[in-house]
Order: sequence, then C-alpha cells, then structure tokens
Amino acid sequence: MKKLFAVALGILTAIGGFVDIGDLVTNAVVGSRFGLGLAWVVLVGVVGICVYAQMSGRVAAVSGRATFEIIRERLGPRAGLANLAASFLINLLTVTAEIGGVALALQLATSVDPMWWIPVAAFGVWIVVWRAKFELLENVTGLLGLTLIVFAVALFLLAPDWGSLAGQALQPSVPDGEPVATYWFYAVALFGAAMTPYEVFFFSSGAVEEKWTVKDIGKSRLNVLVGFPLGGLLSIAIAGCAAVVLLPAAIEVTSLSQVVLPVAEAGGKIALAFAIVGILAATFGAALETTLSSGYTLAQYFGWSWGKFRKPAKAARFHLAMIIGILIAVGILATGVDPILVTEYSVVFSAVALPLTYLPILIIANDREYMGDHVNGRVMNAVAQVYLVIILAAALAAIPLLIVTGAGA
Amino acid sequence: MNDEPTTTGATGTPRHPAGRVLDAHLHVLDRQVLDRDDVPVTTVDDLEFDGIELGSRIEPGSPAPTVTAILTGPQLVMRIFGGHSPTARIIRVPWHLVAEVGTVIRLGVGADSLDAAWVERWVSRHIIGRIPGGRHDPE
Repeated sequence: MKKLFAVALGILTAIGGFVDIGDLVTNAVVGSRFGLGLAWVVLVGVVGICVYAQMSGRVAAVSGRATFEIIRERLGPRAGLANLAASFLINLLTVTAEIGGVALALQLATSVDPMWWIPVAAFGVWIVVWRAKFELLENVTGLLGLTLIVFAVALFLLAPDWGSLAGQALQPSVPDGEPVATYWFYAVALFGAAMTPYEVFFFSSGAVEEKWTVKDIGKSRLNVLVGFPLGGLLSIAIAGCAAVVLLPAAIEVTSLSQVVLPVAEAGGKIALAFAIVGILAATFGAALETTLSSGYTLAQYFGWSWGKFRKPAKAARFHLAMIIGILIAVGILATGVDPILVTEYSVVFSAVALPLTYLPILIIANDREYMGDHVNGRVMNAVAQVYLVIILAAALAAIPLLIVTGAGA
Repeated sequence: MNDEPTTTGATGTPRHPAGRVLDAHLHVLDRQVLDRDDVPVTTVDDLEFDGIELGSRIEPGSPAPTVTAILTGPQLVMRIFGGHSPTARIIRVPWHLVAEVGTVIRLGVGADSLDAAWVERWVSRHIIGRIPGGRHDPE
C-alpha cells in the first residue's frame, strides 16, 4: 500500500493528462471512428511525457526549482509571459471542462441536471485546494481513479477479435469515408493530451510540495514509469472498448453515456458503477490538477509564495488566483456551454504551447549549476531532441488542422 | 558588473569556485528571490546599477558600476513592453540584503520586513486571512 501511495503523484498527474473529461470523450470518439488506428499516437505520447516529466521531476528534486520558475529564468520575461498566457488559458479552459465533467459524472450517477451539480463540484474543488493536504488529495483521487481500469477489464470481457484489433493498431490506416486531415487532427489532439503542459507543471510542483531531494530521483522515475504508461493504457482501453462496441454499431459519441456504454454491456451494473466512480475521481482529480497548476504557473512566473504545504495566508496570492480561476470557470459553465467541447479546443491549444514549455526543461536538465552531476545523459538528450522536433511539428499543425477539419467534425 | 558579486560566492551549490564570474543576464535576472526562511518574495525583474548613466558613453578606464538593488513591481512591465516607470513606484530590494547568489537569490532578512512583499501582505490580511481556515495548516 505504501508503495502505491509513493506513486500517487505520477498516477494523478497521468490521469489528469490522459483520462480527464476531454480525453475520456476524445478517446471514445477516436475508438468509434478509427478503431485502434491511433493507438500508436498514445504510445508516442507516453514515451514523450515520460522523458520530459522525468526531466522536470529530476530538476525539481535536485535543484528545488519547479518548471515555471525555470521557464521564466531561461526564456526571460517576454517569451515566459507568452507561455504563461497560453498555459494559463489552457488551464482555465480545462478547469472549466473538468468542473463541468464532475457535474456530468454526477448526472450519470443521479440523473440530476448537471447545472445543479456545477456549484457543488466547484465548491468541492475549492475546499480541497483550500484545506486538504497535498498527500491526501493525490492519494484519494489517484487511488479512486484506478477504478478506470474497469475499461481494460471490460475490453477483455467483450472478448473481441484480438487479431483485428492488433491489425488496426499495428497497421494504422485512415478508414474509408474519413478525411486524412481529420485523422491527423485527432492524432495531434491525442498527442497534445498526452503531453499537455499542465502535467509537468503539476508533477514538478508536486515534487516540491512533497519536498523531494536528490535522494528521491528514483522515486521520480518510478512515478513517471508507473503513472504515464498506466494513463496511456487506460486511454487505449477506452478507445478499444469503443472500437469493439460502438464502431460496428456506428454509434456516434457525443456524451459520457456513450463512453460508458461498452462497459455496461460487458460487465453490467457493477462495472458501470466502477466506471462512474473512476470518471468522477478522474475528472475531480484533473480539476484539482489544473486548478493547482494555474496557481503554480502564475506564482512561479511572478515569484510569489506558493504551495499547499503552507497556510493559505502564507501563500495569499496563489490562493486568490485559484479562487478567481474557479469563479471564472463557473461563470463560463453558467452560460450553458458544453464542457466537452471546451476541452477539445483546449487540448489543441495546448499543442501550441508545448515547445515553449519543454525547451527550457531540456536546457536546465543539462545545466550543471542546477543539476550538478545529475545532468541528462547522451541517450536522454538524443530522445528529448527528437521529441522537440515532433512537438514543434504538432504545434505548427494544430491550429491549421483545427480550422481545416472544423474541430474534427 | 562582472567583478561585483564575487563577494557573494555561492556556498551551497556544487562546482562553484570562490570568486566566480556572474553574468547579470544569465545568473541573476529572472531568478527567484527567497527570504531567509525560504519563502519566495519575488523574481528579479530588473537590476539597479550605481556609477553608470543610462544611454551615456562609458569612458575607458572608468570604475566598474556596482549593483545596488533588485527591482520589482512595475519594472517587469517596463522590461516586457519598454518605457520608464516613475521612480516613486519602483520597488527596491537593496543588494546589501542579498546573502547568496545561486540558482536562487537568497536574502538575509525575512520577507515581512520588505516593501517588495506588501501586495502579498495586503492580500493575506484583507482577503485570504479572512476566509475561514485561511490561517490554518492544511489537514
């Protein structure tokens, strides 16, 4: 159990990145339209986020500096501000979507209109950010989020034709009737979701919250190697379920109830209950992750006092920023906008902010003033540089693809 | 600048010979400033120099300028968008308060004694401290 709690940070970070409300739906949409034809993107994304999250965790453990402090320090105030603006906007959109997602999950469980659940969800997020210890929030949401494994179990229970699933995954092709641009739009969206910047903001700041030191480099690596592959696995399992049940029936995914349909079909009410608990924990966890990330990024750019290990009064602007963020999110949701649509856009925008986030991490991870003997090895640098190229390509392609495909319609 | 911070040779970090040369841009600007209890105060938004006039020619052989203060507040806006801020509104942290220059700038005093922390103090006292639970440790 203790071992499991030790990797809670990695699990929560990955859940927020791979299976938050937007990804739950995106994965199911992708599965129902392309089968497992985009599973390779998740794999590429998992490796990429492992490489960079491990770097950011190592920098935080060795130097005590969280990622956005490094971004400001290396990029200077102007480019740093550009990244802050983009990242903060993505965070805010994601917080909005996740609070809406919690409301949608509660609707799935209770049939009460989500509008009633939005204030409850928002207050719940705030009170946890305000009062709960960091370890408590990561352990509870990380552990409960694990119930999403029910999607993987459901895939086995559905007894699919494994040969054809493997064929889809290993020989990816664009299905007939789907434009090539749409295929690549979803590829960028999945890659952006896997490598979304708030994961490294949260992971590195979480390392500082947990007061990691040089001794914890191994712990950081373990968190990364357990958390993110698990996130990727869940993401593929959700797409797989959709590919087996929804694709042949030509069911279009527009809401959470279609996402959980295969689980209900495979395992009945009990499996459905697990899925709902998992979705609730994942969206709530993602809401916490993005709310905290919005506070972390602002505080670290401006040099404010931050951290949940302090009393709120000792990190006043950090807490004030998060309160304002949650209020704005509730305001956006009150207009009746579809939370799922909000994340689909935010994921694509996050692809644009990727290079400005990952380049400074790579530079600092090679700086002996910060890292002493724990600088990157040659292999790590080579892989990281390959990923910078991929990240840059995804960033450049994101907006044009969004426009050309009408957001994947 | 180059010979100035030799008096503040970093002690805690590895691979720093005494009297190392610091580049103001690379090693000081935009770094986190912590107070003596490791509480973040601000980021180094700009530096104030003595013995040099902005825009004037530096004669060969003239004495080297020295850093006199870390600047914050409206200075950040100036650095991003250009222009000058009224002298009265600049928030200064005198350089003699700096105890150590490493990957962070460490001060030898507490944040509560500094002008640079007044916004934090105001928000803490008037908003965050008044919300129930704001002055308690998380549970």
